[in-house]
Amino acid sequence: MTDHYDESSELAADAMIEYVSVRIGDQLFGAPVNSIREVFAPQSVTAVPLAPLEVAGLLNLRGRIVTAIDARRRLGLPPRDADDAGMALGVERGSEIFGLIVDSVGEVLRRPRAELEPVPAHVDARWRSMVKGVHRLEKELLAVLDVSAVIGTTVKSEAA
Amino acid sequence: MDDLISEFLTETGESLDVIDAELVRFENNPEDRAILDNIFRLLHTVKGTCGFLGLPRLEAVAHAGETLLGKFRDGDLAVSPPMVTLVLESIDQIKVILHNIEETGNEPAGEDSELIGRLEDASQGRVVEAVEPDAPAETVPEGWDADLGRELRPGEVSLADLEAAFLNTDAEVDVPQVDDEPAAEHLGVGDFDPELGRELRPGEVSVAELEAAFNSAEPAAGMAPAAITPDMSTTEALQTAVAELKGADDHIMGGDGAPRMQQTVRVGVDVLDALMTTVSELVLTRNQLMQTIRGLEDEDLKVPLQRLSAVTGELQDGVMKTRMQPIGDAWRKLPRIIRDVSTDLGKKIELVMDGSDTELDRQVLELIKDPLTHMVRNSADHGLEMPADRIKAGKSEKGTITLKAFHEGGHIIISIADDGMGLNTARIGEKALEKGLTTHEELAAMTEQQIHRFIFAPGFSTAAKVTNLSGRGVGMDVVRNNIEQIGGVVDVTSTTGKGSHFKIKIPLTLAIVSALIIGSHKQRFAIPQLAVRELVRVGAGSEHAIESLSGARVMRLRDRLMPLVDLQEVLGVSQAAGEAKPEGKVDTGFVVVLDAGGRNVGLIVDNVLDTEEIVVKPLSDSLRSVGAYSGATILGDGTVIMILDPNGLAGEIVSSMEDEAHYDASAAAAAETQNTQRLLLVRAGGAEPKAVPLALVTRLEEFQPDAIETTNGRLVVQYRGRLMPIVPLGGQIGAMQGQRQPVLVFSEGHGAIGLAVDQIVDVVEERVDLQMRSDKPGIIGSAIIKGKATDVVDIAWHLEQAQAGNIQRRSSKRRRRVLLVDADAFARRMIAPLLAAAGYDVTPTGGMHEVLAIAEAGEQFDALVGDPAALEKIRAQGMWANLPALAVTDWPEDTKAEGLTMVLPRSDRGALIAALDEASHEEKVA
Repeated sequence: MTDHYDESSELAADAMIEYVSVRIGDQLFGAPVNSIREVFAPQSVTAVPLAPLEVAGLLNLRGRIVTAIDARRRLGLPPRDADDAGMALGVERGSEIFGLIVDSVGEVLRRPRAELEPVPAHVDARWRSMVKGVHRLEKELLAVLDVSAVIGTTVKSEAA
Repeated sequence: MDDLISEFLTETGESLDVIDAELVRFENNPEDRAILDNIFRLLHTVKGTCGFLGLPRLEAVAHAGETLLGKFRDGDLAVSPPMVTLVLESIDQIKVILHNIEETGNEPAGEDSELIGRLEDASQGRVVEAVEPDAPAETVPEGWDADLGRELRPGEVSLADLEAAFLNTDAEVDVPQVDDEPAAEHLGVGDFDPELGRELRPGEVSVAELEAAFNSAEPAAGMAPAAITPDMSTTEALQTAVAELKGADDHIMGGDGAPRMQQTVRVGVDVLDALMTTVSELVLTRNQLMQTIRGLEDEDLKVPLQRLSAVTGELQDGVMKTRMQPIGDAWRKLPRIIRDVSTDLGKKIELVMDGSDTELDRQVLELIKDPLTHMVRNSADHGLEMPADRIKAGKSEKGTITLKAFHEGGHIIISIADDGMGLNTARIGEKALEKGLTTHEELAAMTEQQIHRFIFAPGFSTAAKVTNLSGRGVGMDVVRNNIEQIGGVVDVTSTTGKGSHFKIKIPLTLAIVSALIIGSHKQRFAIPQLAVRELVRVGAGSEHAIESLSGARVMRLRDRLMPLVDLQEVLGVSQAAGEAKPEGKVDTGFVVVLDAGGRNVGLIVDNVLDTEEIVVKPLSDSLRSVGAYSGATILGDGTVIMILDPNGLAGEIVSSMEDEAHYDASAAAAAETQNTQRLLLVRAGGAEPKAVPLALVTRLEEFQPDAIETTNGRLVVQYRGRLMPIVPLGGQIGAMQGQRQPVLVFSEGHGAIGLAVDQIVDVVEERVDLQMRSDKPGIIGSAIIKGKATDVVDIAWHLEQAQAGNIQRRSSKRRRRVLLVDADAFARRMIAPLLAAAGYDVTPTGGMHEVLAIAEAGEQFDALVGDPAALEKIRAQGMWANLPALAVTDWPEDTKAEGLTMVLPRSDRGALIAALDEASHEEKVA
């Protein structure tokens, strides 16, 4: 899906990528719009005892069970305050839906594809496995999330 | 053509399975022409189709096999096991080729001249001419429709037959053919249809019958032969024929009592699965809606919703039904397997199958197929003895394996029983030790059945030698795994020399299960009902309590100790939340008794909330590795909860089991060597239990809290028309508000005294060994009871408290004095209050030196009570010679009454009082 998108974008002269900007900890991230199914506020997440640390729990999204993955845990950041539920990005993978829990969701940003820069080599390896590139915004850096990689450890990255 | 081939593969596969089973039947009943005809026809169909599809290699093999069968049919050859084996071999070869076609789409290279040669040799064994008797068989096969390129579906009529029928409009109908007759006699609804190669389903009509009906219906149906012209393509012709057929259908269905025609449709499994998923969603939504309106009084909404609910239920049933398949489908291969085993091993085996029409979800059926086959094979291979051994054991030469399937409360029970030698308990025990699954001690304490269950342990196989059939090391543990995967349980019972019996209990379906919703640490979980044996309430107001033994918790359930595990601890919830468990919290709650490999294991939960039909949703990969869950579900209120996997919790449970075994053994040993007492455990003024000798208690009563009144600064209750003083054992009335106050009643001729306690916990029978004496009034000392330090209550002291100021007592005659001699402090403490309550002044003494001191002091008594040995000594010394001496002992029948007035059993307090009253009174008169 991503490949297809990439090709068609490249055909266009002003190839732009749309990102949903999210904040995880102090860092601004961008999740490519085409990798996100929806954005929702996670409600009544059922904790799953004995589950891997990054699994925040399960929740009911219109009758479907969604596995909530805590982005902070995946990125090795300290947990949010207990009373802050955060926001969730709905990601469909196969027949399953995952909810990637982030601190907050901001506006949709359009950045030219050409401006996407590779992740600097000295960035933490765990981050590098989940970040596809960096955009230089006016005030700060926008790290482009590889949503699939954040959701699952075993998933192959679709776009290099 | 590809579709044609794949249909051919499916249909032929089914036919071959039937042939397998039928051949085995035929071997046992060589006289049964119907079976043979059916086999012949099926094989013929296969052959015919191969020719049609251009599969020469298959055709050649099928032809050779058919030829041999033809000899049987014509009576030219006698049926014998080697012959049947040969035919089976050809069937196997056909299967191999079919398999190859399935994979590559083509017939494999190579040829089967060797097999065909043998088949031909066999056919010519006695008769020279080989081809001639087959002549009728060369005509168009019955069940097979060459135009369709596949076997006819139920209710269909082949184009050829149609044409034949058309052509015969004004001629004699020549169906059925001559060699059909024996089979045709058997036809009828629900009977075997040789052309379909299986029994007719309800509502189906055999082709032969259809033809007959056709012939009679013809003029009315007005089917002109011209409808199908030679230049039409096959498809067109078929369509025309089907359209015509429909007209005929209508006509037939109009006939009186004629079986209704039922169209069947082959539907892809994926379609059914998708349908099931959708219905599951619908059920969930329905549940949510129902939950929402539960609190509402809106009639406009309620009625249609109830209708919706009912319709959803019907839809669910309907969809479930489409997924149902008779278990016989999973059994179809078994007769052949049994035959092979018996031939290979030289055993004689009869396979009895009962309840093969029991239906279950096809998903479950698929998963149960292999374990079943394995188990039947095992029974045949290991369970049944050789014929010679059977005769030696006084059994019939032929062993029997009985397969049964039936419904039982939403589950299917499948049982596999053999009348063989049974499981070798000693061998299994040895093997279990060898594999380090148990210890000698544990083994010694186990029942036979517990030992037998080791066969389900991973990597366990007792087969001394690996045979061709089973015993490859992956044995019953794989079977158990497969069964547990679908939420089933398997158990075994076995009697040496009589046989073994495996019982499998599986759910009807996997998609929707009935579950118990429980609460633990503010979270809810679902437990499949199948795994739940019972629910036990523990703690306040219940006769059951959680006890602990060096940290491992147990509960007594019907005289057995059951290991308990706390769900919170298993799931690590309390730690994760960073909270220490509140003290004593575990004392109330529920214990869900789970079936863990045939043993009861208790799961401690806080609450049991509901039972609900839940739709099992699979877990995502990241959670699938967590063994404790089998899935998740959405409850009526929209909450997602986890479904616990009882088998996944097993690891936790095993460690507690070991403790149980030790406890069992040590408790048994203690009970044998030590003298035990029946004690009433109560709670009063504090969490720790207190013990009261049960022999002292007359009755246990409960009073409403407001029935307890205060008079003259003392608590009393109106009891049987009198005022009974109440002494709170814990210092104050401790029952909770609104709960009835439990009272131990001690009653004697003069009235009764009540001892109020907070809670009556249990009655135990245990040896009481006072470890520590107490200076505290009202407590004799502490003993270890049920592994817990327990205060033993000094009843005498409490009764004295109650009697102080008792008017009745004051007004009675002079209190008679009794000297109590018993070396056992506990016995003294037990008897003293008894006598005190009966109005005697008791002087307890523990030994002869005390007695001598009292005698020297010149004290006078009215009677002597005590253990026989001490009383005899007093008698021997000539002290208080004129006084009655009443011996109290646990073994009155073993005690010589020499010199003693009377010997009484310690347990009979009434008799002691009566005897004492009488004896001391007599003394007075004398």
